[in-house]
Amino acid sequence: MIGFWDILDRSENSPLVKEKQFDQQLGRVAKQMVEIYEIKYDPKQVVPADDSLADRVYQAGLDLFLKTGVFCRDTGRVMKFTREEVEWALRYAPTTVTYGQGRDAAIMSYRSVEDTKPPFCLMTPVGTPVAEERFVPMVQSYVQEPLAQTFSSAFSQTVHGRPIKSGTPQEVEAAIWNVIKLREAARAAGRPHIGIHNLISNAERTDAMLAAMQAEFGAQPNDGLCIAAIAELKIDYERLKKVVFLRHSGHNKYGLYGPLMGGYSGGPEATAIVHVAHHFLGLLVFEVQWHCGFPLHIHYGCNTTRELLWLISITAQALSRNTHLLITTNTFAAAGPCTEMVAYEIIGNALTATVSGADIDLAAVARNRHPERASGMEARMGAEAGHLAARQRITRKQANEMVKQILIQYEHKFGDPPLGKRFDECYDLDTIQPTQEYIDLYEGIKKKLTGFGLDYSLLL
Amino acid sequence: MMKNEDMSLFEKMADATVRGDEKECVSLAQKTIKMGADPFEAIQKGFARGMRIVGDKFAKLECFLPEVLLSADAMDAAVEVLKPHLMQRTDGGFFGRVVIGTIHGDVHDLGKNIVKVMLGASGFTIYDLGNDVSVHQFIEKADEVGADIIAASALMTTTMAHMPDIDRMLKELGTRDKYLVMLGGAPVIAEWAREIGADGYGEDAAEAVENAKKLMRKKRGGDVS
Repeated sequence: MIGFWDILDRSENSPLVKEKQFDQQLGRVAKQMVEIYEIKYDPKQVVPADDSLADRVYQAGLDLFLKTGVFCRDTGRVMKFTREEVEWALRYAPTTVTYGQGRDAAIMSYRSVEDTKPPFCLMTPVGTPVAEERFVPMVQSYVQEPLAQTFSSAFSQTVHGRPIKSGTPQEVEAAIWNVIKLREAARAAGRPHIGIHNLISNAERTDAMLAAMQAEFGAQPNDGLCIAAIAELKIDYERLKKVVFLRHSGHNKYGLYGPLMGGYSGGPEATAIVHVAHHFLGLLVFEVQWHCGFPLHIHYGCNTTRELLWLISITAQALSRNTHLLITTNTFAAAGPCTEMVAYEIIGNALTATVSGADIDLAAVARNRHPERASGMEARMGAEAGHLAARQRITRKQANEMVKQILIQYEHKFGDPPLGKRFDECYDLDTIQPTQEYIDLYEGIKKKLTGFGLDYSLLL
Repeated sequence: MMKNEDMSLFEKMADATVRGDEKECVSLAQKTIKMGADPFEAIQKGFARGMRIVGDKFAKLECFLPEVLLSADAMDAAVEVLKPHLMQRTDGGFFGRVVIGTIHGDVHDLGKNIVKVMLGASGFTIYDLGNDVSVHQFIEKADEVGADIIAASALMTTTMAHMPDIDRMLKELGTRDKYLVMLGGAPVIAEWAREIGADGYGEDAAEAVENAKKLMRKKRGGDVS
């Protein structure tokens, strides 16, 4: 057994290593693991149905984690773990997590590969910048979606008219404002006690986050926070401070991992291995209950490319087949709202993740960097595709054929993806409903996808 | 100028850089000095050309960051050998001096590190302040080293709000005209960078380098090719 204070001791007493050496070592070991375990990305098998490959990716991820360890930036030390410690943590990892209260309660539980249980659907604009006056309407557009089981936040560009600067008193004010406004959005959607999986996404500093985690601001006992690893396989004391707080507060917590395909790890195969390893970091170091992955393409900043879909599929399968961890994929699309491309990106990603054993976190669009470019409609598209994958009992093999057809619709556009429409252009701000144009666009996409084999009648 | 028969030496330099062969790069740099050849030309036509090949491959993901970093290290080692012979001619930098860092509150530096490597490989002298760098630290360092460019990166929407302070603080200090300000990072878009007074922007490392070069050419009245 390994406890949190053992982790802290290791962060203070493990061998000193220069950060650059750690980065280089990671790339070298990942490359070795690709060779030893014969991991090969096949662009024709976007959703592979090869159990042996998935199991090898898992073993490679575990071996890499044991070899490289975790780098603590505050002390410059590399913490190592034993196979027994990882196995112990896996054995006792949570099998369910409950969010929300009363009729809004929802339970996330383990999913197997090709599970016929619908995915747990988290809905969020993933911190997309938005004007202060449109923050609640934008967030409401997600919470009100019938398939939403938890939600989280956009990023208000100002709070009380002032920009939010990290490390300043305004950041504390903004974090508190964020919690109040998220709960207000839930009430406006008629779901007052729905869970918020990440209460604060507009503050970097721990003090601001913890100041806002109060019941009087609207935080429920089982709302939560994410703890994000620094890419790749790194942590710092800011993250560990959150762990300490959450150990005492009892709020839910999840790990967030965004390895960059093409970055320190290398190509799709090596990044898949490193992505698996991040889940062990989250489990042992952050003691998280579930895991959210958003591996990204280093140039395109999204995870809807062919390589990234493969990576998402094979890592979800690796973890689902070999552990009972609760794993989720956070979709990052390149295109913006009210475009055919974003619909295809999100639906392809949701199908891939769902049949591979993951839950779905929907969705960052326009790479969540373009102000006002996000709406609940994109989350609806992904959630409906995820539900269909389960209800229709779609296999990996079938999903592979569908996703390849979907990819053909958009993969030539990554160099210049359409930004689409602003939230106030694709939603009616009085009713908080998508415009007829956006509804028609989705209906058109559904018709095309019906031709690819998706049976939308099962949603009725 | 090197003679035609020495052209293969440039090829060897480029090739050793592409392979990330630090030992070979150092050996070729030493050979350049012994031959009395122009070290500037050796870098431009040899090592830096190799690095550009690596950069192009990285842009197409025909190679990945570990290979880029190995090549950058190999080139840096060669430049270290050549540097003492360059000082008189170039005043320490070919294109210019860049003070670079990730903005205050932000600990994410992968993107910044890639830009740093590519700028260095393109002939800029780099002063890397690391991550979580306050605006006044950027400016103090720029003053200290006589920088041409202040380059700041942010990964988080929560930290990019510090970026407008670079332009504002430089104006307050009356030194805005001394520096070119470049911004980048995942949440930063070109339109916003312009709005908050930046001179340049990089969607990615390749664009950052191109724009940095353009800005320096403009600053120097077109005398740097």
